[in-house]
Parts: sequence; structure tokens; C-alpha cells
Amino acid sequence: MPPLIVTHELGKTYGTVRALGGVSMSIDAGEIHALIGENGAGKSTLINMLSGVVALSAGTISVAGKPLLTGSVPASEAAGIAVIHQESTAFAHLDALDNIFVGREPRRCGGLLLDKPRMRAEAKRLLESLGETLQEGLALSALSVAQRQMIAIARAISVDCKLLILDEPTASLSQRECQALFAAIQRLKAAGVAILYVSHRLEEILALADRVSVFRDGTHVETRDAKGLNKDDLIRAMVGRDVEEHDRGVVTAPGAVRLSVRGLTRAPRFRNVSFEVRAGEIVGMAGLVGAGRSEVAATIFGADFPDAGSVSLDGVPLRAGDVRAAIAAGVALVPEDRQHVGLVLPMTVGENLVLTVLSSLARGGLRSLSAEAAVATEQMKAMAVKAASSAVVAKTLSGGNQQKLVIGKWLAAKPKVLILDEPTRGIDVGARAEIYRLIRRLAAEGLATLVISSDLPEVLGLSDRILVMRKGSISGELARAEATPEKVLALAMPQEKPQAVRA
Amino acid sequence: MKSSGPNTNESWWRQYNYWHETVLAMLIVGLLLSASVLSPSFTTVKTQVGLSSDMWELALLALPMTLIIITAGIDLSIGSIMALSAVVLGMTFEAGANPWVAAMCGIMAGTACGVFNGLTVAKLKVHPLIVTLATLAAFRGIAEGISLGRPISGFPASFTELGTGTFGGVPIPGLIFGVLALLFAIALARTPFGLSIYAIGHNPLASRYSGLPVARITVAVYALAGTVAGLAAAIYVARRNTAKADIGTGLELDVITAVVLGGTSIFGGSGRILGTLLGVLAIHQTRKFVGWYWDREELNFIVVGVLLIAAVLLNRLFDKKTK
Repeated sequence: MPPLIVTHELGKTYGTVRALGGVSMSIDAGEIHALIGENGAGKSTLINMLSGVVALSAGTISVAGKPLLTGSVPASEAAGIAVIHQESTAFAHLDALDNIFVGREPRRCGGLLLDKPRMRAEAKRLLESLGETLQEGLALSALSVAQRQMIAIARAISVDCKLLILDEPTASLSQRECQALFAAIQRLKAAGVAILYVSHRLEEILALADRVSVFRDGTHVETRDAKGLNKDDLIRAMVGRDVEEHDRGVVTAPGAVRLSVRGLTRAPRFRNVSFEVRAGEIVGMAGLVGAGRSEVAATIFGADFPDAGSVSLDGVPLRAGDVRAAIAAGVALVPEDRQHVGLVLPMTVGENLVLTVLSSLARGGLRSLSAEAAVATEQMKAMAVKAASSAVVAKTLSGGNQQKLVIGKWLAAKPKVLILDEPTRGIDVGARAEIYRLIRRLAAEGLATLVISSDLPEVLGLSDRILVMRKGSISGELARAEATPEKVLALAMPQEKPQAVRA
Repeated sequence: MKSSGPNTNESWWRQYNYWHETVLAMLIVGLLLSASVLSPSFTTVKTQVGLSSDMWELALLALPMTLIIITAGIDLSIGSIMALSAVVLGMTFEAGANPWVAAMCGIMAGTACGVFNGLTVAKLKVHPLIVTLATLAAFRGIAEGISLGRPISGFPASFTELGTGTFGGVPIPGLIFGVLALLFAIALARTPFGLSIYAIGHNPLASRYSGLPVARITVAVYALAGTVAGLAAAIYVARRNTAKADIGTGLELDVITAVVLGGTSIFGGSGRILGTLLGVLAIHQTRKFVGWYWDREELNFIVVGVLLIAAVLLNRLFDKKTK
């Protein structure tokens, strides 16, 4: 039997950045095909291509031998491709019936009225085929994530669904709910539906999948039969690149403890997080997206209130939930979302650079424009910000230069602790190297630095010590000498062992 | 807010920052020129001073409203705050206080109303439109309730001078407005407070993450609006020699119109006191001339509406270059 879905040399570039290239793979009817890779490996791009959300830059997709009109959601839907996202895009105020049929409700009386009895019967049949029962009249928002997911799947299979894409479907399910989902997947498989299953949970994949495709750095590395594979094989395949040589340079002995975090908890995002960062030390924080790292950073910075625990700087406890107190004590945060949290984009480079020191530069209540200009010039020079002048609007700068601006604005405030959250995400290689050099130089000058990153080579190359977070707690700590990509990933990956039923 | 910098490819007019103000000023000059032809008596100093008497409350309130709208907020309750302040002033006076002490009490009541608005917006995170829509009704209700709708008059001439007197030919309310306008302009353009207001209007989250005292500044701008409304109430009471709970009804919409006409973006982040001055002047002159020449009140509303839409379109035209 020919494969159901065949992709040929798929590629996607955004500007000059390649998100995905040369993806040629196939998915059979009745197959559970797993897709794995690190964050940013290109899995989402592939999903978006199949579902028609993004247009291809290169390549073709065919469904059951016929070429698919790509870059069109209706065309993908008509071809029988459906995606169930982690957070389903359903109508939270409507009930199961309405959600399954919205936009294509069966009608009666010449199309004037909804054919409720038929909807009811049909929904019951669909949900029962998935092992679920129909709960009418309850708004989706009153149901559990698992129930909502089943309703989304029911909607997908209410029309002729050939390929069902599940994106991290078990991310927020309990063990029992997972089992119900796996059973439903097996039923769909038996009915001949192809399943593309995207997950970070390797045990799940080993238990469920027929074949596994591995993505790495925007390329399709390999597709293998799942039979006979183990978790280590998968991790090796995901990491298997040459880790770029990051020269940490001369590591000076770290100084006294600067930042001390004790038992910090903000349920349900993270619990009992404790660690220290010393002067002159770069501590990396690795983990999967959603492990709670950014939330820990925001809580240390005072942007969120902790439920429990404390943060102290040079032994002095910080007032919880008070950004200004944290900044005054010397904490700086370069946030993950530099465009919306790091900078005020419509303001000028100069104005952004002095925002953190605005009142300390003022004389007699008035802004000292000359002092502001001096600070702006100094930071632009120190960061090598490429902009015509400090009067340029920050929005017009490239991502790398915007990031330098965020770092520069914090250095103007002369911090003692610098937290960088995904400092190089979306930044081109050249600017990236500059930012690495900068981070190292600052550490050498005695700054205590915490680098949160989902980019393994980055964490491994920069850090003196690596903390790994998994599902809201620190799952381990690795010294620079012993850290390998495999060890970091093994600590970062979820540990559940679901007993999935193989068909 | 600023032009895109000294790029040599850009001609000077693309870098010029004051297009909105310039065009508005040209409109006003054009209007006055045509007016002087159609009805020469309209543009005499004597007529203008006479016509300005009921402009000052609107002009005063437009100053803090500019700050509030730059933070991406709005205050619908200023007319009602004026009423409440006037009633507090009147009743304190009636109880035997010196009228100036009574005026201070009115201003303090206005400030308290503003602080209430500000705290509700900043701390309880309720949208300012909702908060001030509620207090628009509530403050007037309180004013009606405590005064029982009764007008209070009989203020001494020494006090009514505040509203009707002149100093060197300039009406005293105009002098007060001039001083305040200057202070507001300096605060906005040259203080950390002013730059923070722009930053908050553009991006409150990034402002908070940069360590700006977002909540404190938000409370401050609404409090300022309350204080100025209290002052405007004192001037109004002095001018009319009457304190009553129905004053300032609907004034908030005129004030917002003037500020937006002056080029302040209703979405926050941009605006200047100079623009607001011109916005107030444009509305005032248009209204007075329409009333003067055609003697038809209802035409006023139409003309102001047309002006407002024209100003917004104009603003968008000049905004394009920074987008």
C-alpha cells in the first residue's frame, strides 16, 4: 500500500533564517508516527506546513497520491488533515455538541433550524468510538483538559480525517487520562487513521509509535522503526550534533555567594527551588519549555509573588514581589520576550537605555539630558549597538541589536546579578557570538550571571555549572566538566512511565 | 513619538516632529482670518477676552487629561468631581468658613476623588473606562445627595474675583491656566515622571520590568486630574457665584475631544501639552465663532465633530512615517 502522506524536500525560511529544510518523509495510513526533537528543531514548522498555516518555501506535500495545495488551511482540512494543539482552540463557552459541529451543524426545516437530535446521536457515536461519553449542556470551560481534548478529536474525526496530528497531547494530562487517550489513539489507528504524534515524553513514544522521525536544527535527521529502540537511542539522535566549541576562557575562581534562592515555590509552576550564584560565576539553567525556568526568574526579579521561599542578595533578603526593591538591590532581568517586556519599542534607543536609571540621573527633579546622552552613548558603545544614533526608534533595530539594548539598559543600572532568559533566541549567529563574549566579559568582571536557555550548546558552552529543571523543580545539577548534552537531556525529559497498550 | 533619526535620505519634513501642531495652528489662524473678514468685531481683544470666560475650566482639565490619555487611560469622572468639589466648597463656606479655606476643602475633595480613581485603576486593575464611568455617576450622586440639589451662593466679591477679575488685562483664570500649562509642559517633557508616563502608555509591562513605579504614577495622574477639577470648580463657583451639584455635566467629553484634537493618541504613548493647548483653542474658537456669526447652538456640535474626525485622520497621516 503506498504511503498516505509523502513530503518531498520541504523547506521554510523566514527572511534569511532557515527554520526547516530538506524534509522528505512519509506517513502511512493506520500508522502512529512519532516526531521528536529539541525545542526549535522544526517540529512546529512541519505541523504548520501540513495543516496549511504556513506557506512552504520549497518542496511538495501529497496526500493519498494527490498533490496538496499548500499554505491553505481549507485545502489541508479538505484533504483530511487535522491538528489537535496542546491548548485547543475551541469555544470555551459552548458545550461539546456545539464544539464538535460548529460551522457545519446538521440542519433541518430547510436549513432554518439545527438538527439537534442528529447532532446528539452523531456526537454520541463519535465520542463512544473514542471511549468517551457525551456530556451535554456543560460549557467546555467546565470540563477537564482531557475531556476537551477528546471533544477536539471527535470534531476532527466527525469529517473524514486521514491524518490526525497530536501536538504534545499528554503535556497536562494525568496518568489515567493518558491511558484513555492512548486507547483512543489505538482505536483510530485500527480505523486506518494516520497519527503524527509530537511529544517530549520518550517513554510514551517508545510504547506507542510504529516509527519515529527525529528533527534537529531544522533538518529531518532520520526515521526509524520504533521497535528495538530505547530512550538513550532517542536522546542521542536528538542531540547528535557536534556541540559548537564555546571557549569559556580562563575561569577565575568564583567569589562570594551573591544570589541565594531558598525553597522558592509558586505553585503550580515551580516548587522548592533552591540554588546559589556566586560573583563571577555563570550558572546555566536548562530544561524544556514549560519547566518553570522563566517563572523562577520572574519571581526572583519580584515580578511575581512566591507562595513560599526566599531570595537574598549578598545575604540580605529581598522583599518578595517588588520589582523596584529587586532592582535597587542589584538584580537585573533580561526577559525572554525582549520585544514586549524588555523594551518599549516605540521609544528611542536613548530613552530605552536610561529607563532603569531615569530618576538617579535627574537633577533637582528635572531630567538631565546631557547625563542621559552620556549614559546612552556609553552603553551603545559598550554593547556595540548598531544604530545611526540614540534618537532612532528601538522598533527599527534588528533582534540582535534590540537584545544588546536590553542588556545595555541593565548595565547602566550597574547590577550585581544578571539573569538572562533565552538571551539569543531568534538572534543571528554573528550577534549571538557577540552576546556570548559580552556575558563572559561581564562574569569576568565579577557579575553573578544566571543564563536560562533551551539551547543546549549555549548552556553547555557558557556555563560554569548547569542546573536542570523538570516540571517545576530542579532535577539535577551538573558541573562544567561532567556536563554532556545527553546528561542534560536525561535530566530535562519527563520521567513518567505510562504503560501504553500496543495494538 | 520621535522621528526616525538623522537618516540622510529623509528630507527635513519627514523628520519634523510638530506636524500635527503646525497644521492645527494653521487651521486656527485660517479660522481667525476668515472670521475677521466675515465679522471684524469677533477678533477684537475685547470680544475675545469676553468669550474666553467659560473656556478656562475646559482648558484646565485638558492638562491632566493629556497625561491620563498618554498613559493609555481615560477619566470620564472629571465633570462629576468638579460638581462634588463645588458642593464641598459651597457647604464649607455656608458652614461659616472663609471662602478660600472652603476652596481648599473643595480641591482636597477633588484630589481624594482622583486618588480613588487612580487606586482602583492601578491596584485593582479595573479598566479606567469602567472605573471612571462608575465614578462619573457616583461622584455626582454624592454631590446631589449632600447638597440636596440646592444652589449655594452669596460669595464675597473678594472671592468671585478669582473667576471674574483680571490682572493686567488678562483674566485671572487665564493666568492660573498659563502657569499650570507651563508646569505640565515641563513635567511631561523634562522630568522622569513625564518620560515614565510615555513609557507606561506604550508598554506598561516593559515599564514595570524596567523598574518604573507604574502604580504610583498611575495614581498620581488621576489624583492630579482630581486636584485640577477641584481648582476648576473653585473658578467656576467664583465666576458664577453659585455652587451647585449640576455643574460640569458633560464637560468630560469636551475635554477628551480637545485633547485628542490636539494630537494625543487615544491608545497612549504620545501627545504633548502644546498640542492640547491648540486643541482647546481650536474647539473654543470654532464654537464661539459659529455661535457668534450664525447664532445657532446646534451647529456647534456638528462643527466640533467634523473637526475631531479631521484631526484624527490628520494624525494618522503623519504617524505613517514612524510605522
